[in-house]
Amino acid sequence: MMNPEMSENSLYPIAVLLDELKHDDLALRLNAIRRLSTIAQALGPERTRNELIPFLDEAAEDEDEILLAIAEELGNFVDNVGGPEYATVLLHPLGNLASVEETVVREKAVASLNHIGTVLSPAQLESDFIPLLKRLHSAEWFTNRASAAGLFAVAYARVNPALQAEMRQAYGQLCQDPTPMVRRVAAARLSEFVRQLQPEFLIEAAVPYFNCLSVDDQDSVRLLTVEPLVTISSALTTEQVGEFLLAAFRALAVDKSWRVRYMVADKFVELTRVMAPHVAKEEVVAMFVSFLKDGEAEVRTIICSQIPGFCELVGREDVLEKIYPHLKELVSDPAQPVRSAFATHVSGLAPLFEKEATHQYLLPLFLRLLKDDFSEVRLNIISRLDKVNAVIGIELLSDQLLPAIMELAEDKQWRVRLAIIEYIPLLAKQLGVAFFDEQLTHLCMSWLGDRVFSIREAATRNLKNLTDVFGAEWAKGTIIPKILGLANHPNYLYRMTTIFALTTIVPSVTPEVIRASILPAIESLVTDDIPNIRFNVAKSIEALAPVLQRDPELRPLVPAQIVPALTTLTQDPDQDVRYYAQRALQTVQNPVS
Amino acid sequence: MDVSSDISTLDSWIQHLSDCKQLPEQDVKKLCEKAKEVLMQESNVQPVRCPVTVCGDIHGQFHDLVELFKIGGNAPDTNYLFMGDYVDRGYYSVETVTLLVAMKVRYKDRITILRGNHESRQITQVYGFYDECMRKYGNTEVWKCFTDLFDYLPLTALIENQIFCLHGGLSPSVDTLDQIRTLDRIQEVPHEGPMCDLLWSDPDDRMGWGISPRGAGYTFGQDISEAFNNTNGLTLIARAHQLVMEGYNWSQDKNVVTIFSAPNYCYRCGNQAAIMELDEHMKYTFLPFDPAPRRGEPHVTRRTPDYFL
Repeated sequence: MMNPEMSENSLYPIAVLLDELKHDDLALRLNAIRRLSTIAQALGPERTRNELIPFLDEAAEDEDEILLAIAEELGNFVDNVGGPEYATVLLHPLGNLASVEETVVREKAVASLNHIGTVLSPAQLESDFIPLLKRLHSAEWFTNRASAAGLFAVAYARVNPALQAEMRQAYGQLCQDPTPMVRRVAAARLSEFVRQLQPEFLIEAAVPYFNCLSVDDQDSVRLLTVEPLVTISSALTTEQVGEFLLAAFRALAVDKSWRVRYMVADKFVELTRVMAPHVAKEEVVAMFVSFLKDGEAEVRTIICSQIPGFCELVGREDVLEKIYPHLKELVSDPAQPVRSAFATHVSGLAPLFEKEATHQYLLPLFLRLLKDDFSEVRLNIISRLDKVNAVIGIELLSDQLLPAIMELAEDKQWRVRLAIIEYIPLLAKQLGVAFFDEQLTHLCMSWLGDRVFSIREAATRNLKNLTDVFGAEWAKGTIIPKILGLANHPNYLYRMTTIFALTTIVPSVTPEVIRASILPAIESLVTDDIPNIRFNVAKSIEALAPVLQRDPELRPLVPAQIVPALTTLTQDPDQDVRYYAQRALQTVQNPVS
Repeated sequence: MDVSSDISTLDSWIQHLSDCKQLPEQDVKKLCEKAKEVLMQESNVQPVRCPVTVCGDIHGQFHDLVELFKIGGNAPDTNYLFMGDYVDRGYYSVETVTLLVAMKVRYKDRITILRGNHESRQITQVYGFYDECMRKYGNTEVWKCFTDLFDYLPLTALIENQIFCLHGGLSPSVDTLDQIRTLDRIQEVPHEGPMCDLLWSDPDDRMGWGISPRGAGYTFGQDISEAFNNTNGLTLIARAHQLVMEGYNWSQDKNVVTIFSAPNYCYRCGNQAAIMELDEHMKYTFLPFDPAPRRGEPHVTRRTPDYFL
């Protein structure tokens, strides 16, 4: 039956969609799905409910890629069907998608169902959502039941107590489902469901769920119970934790599967906090040490992230006595990822150790790590030295570490050299001019001639930072002559560095230096043989122009020197030189005030 | 056509592509049209001035191309000569080739891009570029656009009349550069003949010509490359096409150098990459480099797999 309002125009979008949805070309079908929302808006809520949704319901036989797109689009369809009061029409198609074979489709459908669940009223939940949940929960094929596990949390709090009781029982069944895939989802979703449970049911429901899953014969289920363990423990009183969960914690920490131990190690600080009142310090320390010495490199790697947090809980005395001897071993761990993670986190111990102990115990470790064969290990330790710096002060640090730093400044990995460069301004601030000039200025200049462009670039930035620290006079006497020397380098890439370096430091030096040293040097390159140098002269002048215009002393130089230089370049035989010269000339002559 | 708006469009495309984002289909079409005009002007033996930095295979490893620019310097500040194989194998052939072509159009005197054996309709249908275009654009238009453009890429380049650069190697049907200059290159890479050989051949320890295990092109010995360099007044043949563990490799008594610029080729070979910097005095420096670090990726290959079961 045709509604009189349905002119050909209003039929057109749905006709196109139907055509494209049936198209042989997957990409076209996918495109059509991605436009569903537009189509629905064109159709209006009523026809969307009556025609589009039933149509999509039937489309559920398509390729997974299409189904995934539908599952995603429908999650944002509440407004298109006429708002929350009609949102229940979406439950059926999404319910179908929640039972397909492909996991990603099901997960997307469950996510969309959760999204819709939040806007449904308690009455709608009871009349439509819960029946869907029950249908999935009691279905024979496991995919349905796995999806069901993801739908409890959103509905539970807003349905009547009788249904709640049923839901609690139903979840318990999922935790004992014969299919491990279902138990896995039950474990993964346990935390969010437990958060919805009323306190009085924690012991009666949450703890049994957990206890059942945490002794599952599949390690892939057990490993997912570590997070719920944290959630449940934080909701219970300390006595209850001790009574109901302590044993599981102890068991998971020494699980025979490394993947389970990995998960425990990953959350060890958090777990220690909730378990602390019941477990003797000796015991958690022993557990921690066993992770540090775990047979699997993955576990040793992940426990490294817990070192600063855990050691803080334990306190310095115990760390030094019981943990440090084992930490020391990680410096020479055979697995590179372990050393790398250790290098990242070990500097976090400095605030706890304080000055003296950091010096005595941590510095030797740093020195060893700085000499590691793998650049990543070296990099991780360098890039976090500022934390150590704050604790022991630069003098001690530079005394001990400067030789190692000097060595790394010539590391064959350019990213290690880069990390050192970025650390230099900090060193400069603390060391003072005299010491710096003696030890490090030469090094800073040598980076300008590095073979790797990014190092040369970082070196120019570094010189600007140093000028900010030591002042324009220092720059004038120490670094500018050396930069100017590079202007005669036989290789164009290094002459270019001169231009970059001079341009970069301009904001930090005096007008006199600009006039007497920098401008003449840049101008001398106007006649360079290589076009790349000439157009970089133009670019440099373009960048300098605002600085010159602002200063009354320098402003006359613009018409006297800058404009003629640029005008020469606009006549250049090379088109790139002409382009940049033209652009610079425009900037110089039409300054934006 | 308005030149300055053209330049700002190109600049915005290059900016966009530098973040590894693809261009819309319409813009790719426009870009390829412009590129055709530029490449049409170039010779089969495109003359190139020094200084220039010479690079080998990239193969869609976009992040490693960005690393290459971090090592060698940005275009147009540094001049570049790429010796083909921009697409296939890596995950970002579309972004890689679009960026290089956009740079070529924007800075035609600063950048030279040659044709590799993968710049072909047939090869790209097998080794990934075709599928990637389908996946990223949903149709074959972009692939058609680029493979049509590939026909226009120069086959070889000649730096200061001294260094002969090409993707593969020499051909028994070619003795002089002039013979190459007379080839009609605007076509799909043929299965045999001089144009095919230039893109497919490899140097070999055995003297003379040999049958290539690749099924296209030939292998050539030191006698061949010496004679070729002698006849044409060359000092060196620089080519790509073969994985070499240090990124560059001298062979045939320094008559031939192989340069390969895709580090950890196919994300698994563990090789270094390299580029060859030639300064304005024709002094060369090889810069080896490693793959760009993939931030956020796990250090441990054997992660706790949550997809188990």
